[in-house]
Amino acid sequence: MTQQETERAYQHWLYQAAGMGSRAFLTDLEQTGEAQVVYDMAKRGILEEQLHIRYRRKAQKIQAFAAHYDVLGEYERMTERGILFVTIRDASYPQRLSVVSDAPYALYYVGRLPDAGKRSVAMIGARNCSEYGKKMAGEFGAVLAQAGVQIISGMARGIDGISQQAAIDAGGYSLGVFGCGVDICYPAENRALYESLLAEGGVCSEYPPGIEPRAVLFPPRNRIISGLCDGVLVIEAKERSGTLITVDMALEQGREVYAIPGRTTDALSVGCNKLIRQGAGLVMTPQELLDEMQMTIPALTEKNVCEQQSLFTMEETTEKVLRLLDFQPKPLALLQEAYGNAYETNISVPKLCHELLQLCASGHAGQTAGCYYRKGIS
Amino acid sequence: MFSTITSGTVCGISSYLVQVEVDLSRGLPCFQMVGLLSSEVREARERVRVALKNTGISLPPMCINVNLSPADVRKEGTVFDLPVAIGILTCLGQLTGPCTAGTVLLGELGLNGEIKPVKGVLPIVAQAKERGMRRCIVPQDNAMEGAVVEGIEVIGVSDITETVAYLQAIESGGSGLIEPEQIDVMSLWESTEGEKALDFADINGQAAVKRAAEVAAAGFHHLLMIGPPGSGKTMLARRIPSILPPLSLQESLEVSTIYSVSGLLHPPKEVLITKRPFLNPHHTITQQALAGGGRVPAPGIVSLSHRGILFLDELPEFKRQTLEILRQPLEDKEVQIARSSGVYRFPADFMLVGAMNPCPCGYYPDMARCRCSPYEVKRYLARISGPILDRIDICVEAAPLRFKDLSGGAPGESSAQIRERVMEARKIQAERFLGTGLHFNADMGAAQVEKYCGLGVKEKRYMEQMFSCMQLSARGYHRILKVARTIADLAGCRQIREEHLAEAICYRQADRI
Repeated sequence: MTQQETERAYQHWLYQAAGMGSRAFLTDLEQTGEAQVVYDMAKRGILEEQLHIRYRRKAQKIQAFAAHYDVLGEYERMTERGILFVTIRDASYPQRLSVVSDAPYALYYVGRLPDAGKRSVAMIGARNCSEYGKKMAGEFGAVLAQAGVQIISGMARGIDGISQQAAIDAGGYSLGVFGCGVDICYPAENRALYESLLAEGGVCSEYPPGIEPRAVLFPPRNRIISGLCDGVLVIEAKERSGTLITVDMALEQGREVYAIPGRTTDALSVGCNKLIRQGAGLVMTPQELLDEMQMTIPALTEKNVCEQQSLFTMEETTEKVLRLLDFQPKPLALLQEAYGNAYETNISVPKLCHELLQLCASGHAGQTAGCYYRKGIS
Repeated sequence: MFSTITSGTVCGISSYLVQVEVDLSRGLPCFQMVGLLSSEVREARERVRVALKNTGISLPPMCINVNLSPADVRKEGTVFDLPVAIGILTCLGQLTGPCTAGTVLLGELGLNGEIKPVKGVLPIVAQAKERGMRRCIVPQDNAMEGAVVEGIEVIGVSDITETVAYLQAIESGGSGLIEPEQIDVMSLWESTEGEKALDFADINGQAAVKRAAEVAAAGFHHLLMIGPPGSGKTMLARRIPSILPPLSLQESLEVSTIYSVSGLLHPPKEVLITKRPFLNPHHTITQQALAGGGRVPAPGIVSLSHRGILFLDELPEFKRQTLEILRQPLEDKEVQIARSSGVYRFPADFMLVGAMNPCPCGYYPDMARCRCSPYEVKRYLARISGPILDRIDICVEAAPLRFKDLSGGAPGESSAQIRERVMEARKIQAERFLGTGLHFNADMGAAQVEKYCGLGVKEKRYMEQMFSCMQLSARGYHRILKVARTIADLAGCRQIREEHLAEAICYRQADRI
């Protein structure tokens, strides 16, 4: 173990001994000397005398903790599992985060931490999102990642997970910030995404490995998400949403906030629309966001070109049906009625079924929850 | 002094004749009844003694023994009061043996000698006719019910005095004091036709669900409707009987027999069940009530909805075990209940119509209103097990209703119009399945699907394409073909075409939600 690694092992011990949220104390403690020196003092029971009287309790705790803790062994076991540890004093600690006033003293991470030289965007939104939100998250995640933007998010259900998955699938980088230990996949349904983040992106947390997810742990991690990025993009949020906590944090930290607008009647877009009214950047396409950040536009992918062409070969009725579809899933009965209203000719249910299935098969439409149809996510 | 009277009883829904043997002899005065009797049959002693006394006949102080033969079959019910009383009178010499020969007697006695209605008259009379009996004497209220069976005289009587007078008249050669009950069975159908029934025209909008109901009715496919609260699922389900073809006499007799043994036929107002049954049990129903049961098994809700509709509203609220009970009747079209006394079989060929919300709050996938997490939605749908969903051929979403749908607009098609198309499709099916023992497309097994649902090259390729891109399951394949067959029948096509398959696939969402 190198000198640096050994010191890091002692820092890890000290971070655990002092407990979370003791950044001020730890910064003070650094005046005393290196972590290894602190450990020696604690082991000999003289740390208490060295510190200011107001830290007596804490010092006693640390001394007790030092008595039976295998500093190097524990650290080695952790690194063997691929979990790395970095403190705010290290050069590898994310630069953007380090200047934030309440940045965590240390981070645990697996994979890579974001590259300071590249742009980072936090994509956040509702867990219980709509089809529109899914589509937007997928599109923005993929295009931004292709343009070389690093996608930061919380790997939650819904928007978070979809954006990150899209970024990874597009061959980009994405970082998941957890409200639990980095060795725990939460929610369990995002297991596949978790694995691909470990392999091609990164996951990080201020909480030590093994900490189970608890509701109180999640709001503090939002400050890390916003702290790690240049700008926050809100895809979908209800009026009173946890997503807005992240936005508040971002504003405190001086980050740009962008939001994707939605229909005023959609509960899931109210949060976004209100943010826009309050001055958040209105973003309709990934391109606009890239322009804002003075980045180049990725070339139109082949898939998009091919789909635009295929529209021309479609039969007239099929195309008419496609025009009625929306990202909001619509039930069969409503589509039938809408067809009658729009084209002044009626379409029978069997015929409509036939056309819709045709569209589903060619990827222009999709089915949700039985007989609800929406425009395809391409 | 000995006499034998013929009576009958039901066991499950099958009936058989019982000989009531009465003997009066000298000895210590007593009144005994034997022959594996349940307590209500045994209590006939008290009813008969008092009823005879109140009619002016006092029993002599003799030893009276009654045996109900065959003695090893358990007897239930109150039909034996009248035959026991008549048997005693025959022993006393008031009547002679020949006047009750070839006659089946049924009836419960009141203490004043009146004869009260009993259960199971229809199957017993039918059995009597089969066994070559000439005449049935039944309670006046049940006379019409019995008269439905042709080829046997059915005499309705209201008290003991009348019965005795009638039998004495026969004895003295008089052609008959009471005319046999006559009924024009066809008039029963006509009398119900005039009634204002629930009609499909009452429903505005919901074209998709209406169409699905039509297809379900045409092929007797089970149907599941999924939709937000207040979208008219229940309203629609209640109207499905109005588009089903009317009950045939044969079917009506089957259904009426079940209702008769359950005591649910209400003569004289209701002689036969002429309308398809529609049952919608509450979701707290027990397994026994649904399938049938009891110490002496009685038909359950599934049998009472035979040839009709079993509507289960709020499907996921039913207990899982209760729903699982449906697996056997859905497959075999009958319920078997085993008891130490034997296996009872009740027919249960019903059309299952289910209705449910898509999630606990009812608004999924409208994310602006739905408050449920994806996990909750999944768990809600998972309350209905795969095997049950797998047996439901048609699954359709009911759209949320808007004000426009509620406030008038052009009325939809009437039930009569839809029924016409359904009848056409049924006719095609009847021709197709002539001599195979099947009735509807839904009854087809794998072999018949192969035989009757052949696809052309183009259609096969289409199915192949749909199979992969719509992620259909293998077990759904045959179901799709069956429904497509019905859709083609409705369209009057001999060959199943692409659009028929497409519509059937649209209805096959049950295994994918």
